[in-house]
Amino acid sequence: MGFLNPWFLGGLAALGVPVFVHLLRKHVTPPRPVSSLMFFERGTQSSTRHRQLRYLLLFSLRVALILLAVLAFASPFFRRANADANARLLLIVVDNSFSMRAGTRFADAKQQALAALAAKPHGQKAQIMTLGGELEVLTQPIADDEQLRAALANVEPGDGRANFGELGRYLRTMSESVRSPIDLELFSDMQRSAMPANFADMAMPPNVKLALHPVARGNALPNWTVESVDAPAELADPKDPKRSRVAAVIAGFETPATSKNVSLLVNGKVIATRKADIPANGRATVDFAPLDVAYGFNRCQVRIDNGDAFPNDDASVFSVLRSDPQRVLFVHAANDTRSALYFGAALDAAAHASFVLQSVAAEQATDLDPSKFAFVVLSDTTSLPSIFEHALAAYVAKGGSVLIALGTSAAHHEHIPLWGGEARDIRDYARSGGSATAGSVDFGYPALEQAQPGRDNGGWAEVKFFYAAAVDPAQARVAARLNDGTPLLLEKQVGEGRIVLLSSGLDNLTNDLPLHPVFVAFVDRVARYLSGSEQLSGARLVDSFVQLRAASAGLDAGGSIEVIDPDSRRPLSLTEARTAQSLRLARAGFYQIHFANGRDAVIGVNPDRRESDLQPMSSDLLQLWSGSFAGAAPQSAGANVDDAQYRNVNLWWWVMLIALFAAMAETAWASGYMGTQREDA
Amino acid sequence: MQRFLDPAVLAGISSLDLLARTVVDGFVAGLHRSPDFGFSQEFAEYRAYTPGDDLRHVDWNLFARTERCYLKRYRGETNTQLTILLDASNSMQYTSGPPSKMDYARFIAASLFYLSIRNQRDAAGLIVFDDEVRDYIRPSTRPGQLARLFAGLERAEPRARTNFAKPLQHFQNFLHRRGMAIIISDFYESPETIIHTAAPLRFHGNEVVLFHILDPQEIRPSMKGSSMLIDLETDQKFEVVPDYVKTTYRAKIDAHIEELRSRTLAAGMDYQLLVTNQPLDSALREYLTLRQEGN
Repeated sequence: MGFLNPWFLGGLAALGVPVFVHLLRKHVTPPRPVSSLMFFERGTQSSTRHRQLRYLLLFSLRVALILLAVLAFASPFFRRANADANARLLLIVVDNSFSMRAGTRFADAKQQALAALAAKPHGQKAQIMTLGGELEVLTQPIADDEQLRAALANVEPGDGRANFGELGRYLRTMSESVRSPIDLELFSDMQRSAMPANFADMAMPPNVKLALHPVARGNALPNWTVESVDAPAELADPKDPKRSRVAAVIAGFETPATSKNVSLLVNGKVIATRKADIPANGRATVDFAPLDVAYGFNRCQVRIDNGDAFPNDDASVFSVLRSDPQRVLFVHAANDTRSALYFGAALDAAAHASFVLQSVAAEQATDLDPSKFAFVVLSDTTSLPSIFEHALAAYVAKGGSVLIALGTSAAHHEHIPLWGGEARDIRDYARSGGSATAGSVDFGYPALEQAQPGRDNGGWAEVKFFYAAAVDPAQARVAARLNDGTPLLLEKQVGEGRIVLLSSGLDNLTNDLPLHPVFVAFVDRVARYLSGSEQLSGARLVDSFVQLRAASAGLDAGGSIEVIDPDSRRPLSLTEARTAQSLRLARAGFYQIHFANGRDAVIGVNPDRRESDLQPMSSDLLQLWSGSFAGAAPQSAGANVDDAQYRNVNLWWWVMLIALFAAMAETAWASGYMGTQREDA
Repeated sequence: MQRFLDPAVLAGISSLDLLARTVVDGFVAGLHRSPDFGFSQEFAEYRAYTPGDDLRHVDWNLFARTERCYLKRYRGETNTQLTILLDASNSMQYTSGPPSKMDYARFIAASLFYLSIRNQRDAAGLIVFDDEVRDYIRPSTRPGQLARLFAGLERAEPRARTNFAKPLQHFQNFLHRRGMAIIISDFYESPETIIHTAAPLRFHGNEVVLFHILDPQEIRPSMKGSSMLIDLETDQKFEVVPDYVKTTYRAKIDAHIEELRSRTLAAGMDYQLLVTNQPLDSALREYLTLRQEGN
């Protein structure tokens, strides 16, 4: 209840008028003549009481008339809920991320969620969701209690990483279409690591009332985990000391300093055990070398032997494919001998994969079959034998990969073989006495991937480019650009294969890239990316994706793909097996994939190790979140919440109507008194 | 003038039989026989002669036939005179609705004048008084008397206060014959004083009737709230509460009426309470009926 124009309430001072007239003003009674006062006696009655008794109704009507008129001008209103309780949507979100496997967290969360569902008024709609690697909607908004309870009972703990920011984004999107109020009940361990970088991402929309139900109380339990494992995805020579080694980082969260036995298991057998001295809340690295594995896929695991409060994260899995070194065809111009040297040296220095470089001049490549190579490098080759170029195109269309590096020859031949485009211009920075550097680098691109590039732009800032060809990117993806905007590294999907184009050369004439350490890492990653070996083995994080088909490939191209998950089940249906382009790795363990081109892959999948930090959010943060928008913008957001839940119903019309009736009654009653007075007179 | 000769009023009174008047002088001649025997043309009875009787009344014809001496007696028809004493004090102008007490008194007086002069050939007179005798019309049967009486009634406007002593003393000074005296007033005086003043009239053989005229609001006043009352005669005023009016006042006025009635009857006079909302003819009829029943 409130008033839209409360300043009109000052008119209540007018109530003094009837009070004065009826109660305070000296009452003058017209004398009433009688024949004789012989039988009368003087009697005095309280004038106030007298008037109260006689004019009580008239006084009441006049006071009511003024009061109602003032109220009508003040525009009283009351707030009516836009929707009744049954119209509010109860949204139950259960955190089933990997950390919920610790202790009884998930069971507690599930039990509390069931209790909340049982307390729901019958007929109120509810919706069940889980917050794991992704926000999964288990039911639509329904009022069927049995169906809701069944959906909630079937929730199982997952291996994904919860992200409260994703929850906030989903609800903000949802509120754009659902205007009714939403009661969000979140049952979670409120892990601090689940917070997004920006707290605003967690903020709930105005029509959402967030209720938090933390299932983890008090301080976090001490927990050790295998934070990361650095192991070769492919291994050609187990005796190679540079590559045949496994480095595992053991991390402790809220832990005291201690020693732990760490074991390396290959195909279920412990082949080595090391003792790691882990400082308090610190990390320790454990090396296992050499890595003696058999040919083919080896399912490996680094495990902390002594258990802790959260044993699920005490192991990290990965797969190692032992095979003979893969051959790489390096096609270069006849007068270019440096590029093959630099590229081959870098390829040999790479630690993760084993390749053997076969260098050949372009003119001599006529009889070569590209399909026998892991990938092909075309270094400053302006023209290729037509037979080889045709074979190369077919190779790419079937899934092969080619790296094209444009050298100085691009100035003479605008046509770029196999790329399907031309070099529009030549950037000769040396002629102008200067050089260019890599201005922007997409470190998310697999060939340039760096987890934490430094201030030197991941090492690329120090590389000087003297000569580069300006290539129209068209449909190609630009992974790096020079500081003048010239595309430096581009990728184009052709058929099921891919072509990567470096607009500068691989020698030290057009740039000094081969002289920088970043060149080795670049070559290593490009080789692994183009050969596809990184897709076939190694380790991934839960909720990462494996590309099953090229994006440009048509439906049902190349037959079906077979995937077996860690639970030995096939997550893809028959239709999905023929059409799916990617696979989400939702479970921890080993995935076995048989690609359409006949290649097999075994991939170890591990939970995000941020889930191993069981430290919950502080109570201040929880309070701030549960009333997040009220704190962020107290007035506007609060008003929005009110607007969403309530609407103002103005009562001025009704008040004015009642005032009219009061006026009519007052007129009738007062005229009756006036008539009496005339008669007395 | 015609308002005093309302045919309905006259018809109402004429329908009543004046035989009800049995008192000596008769209220209306022609309808009432005189209780006193006198010289008249109508034979009444014979009575045996006793020594000392007047020989003029001996029926000599009967003596000649029967040699017995009888006195012949006749029923005497006497004319009386009606005198109305009309109170014209200020209290008589009170009204809660037409007519006022003064008008009602005029109606009654006019009706009685008409009845007595036209029907009974009686002499009729009027004394209008308040605290003084304001108007006096000697009783007479001369032509034009009725008009003079009516004019006297017209002139009688309420004013001043009531004082019964002076008008009644004046009435006694001019009263030489026995007759009927009707006092029309609201009698706002103590019954003892009223009777003490009116009783001498009765001693002279007059028939005295008190017409007590009151307004309905004077008997059962209604008062919604406390009111300031003003006395019409004394201009005295004070505040009166409704509770008193509803209880004590009604008891007092009832006691006053009853005392006045009882004292009047005890003094050999007649009393009639007339309320101004009663029909005029019914009031007279009620009075005459009471007289008939009383005789």
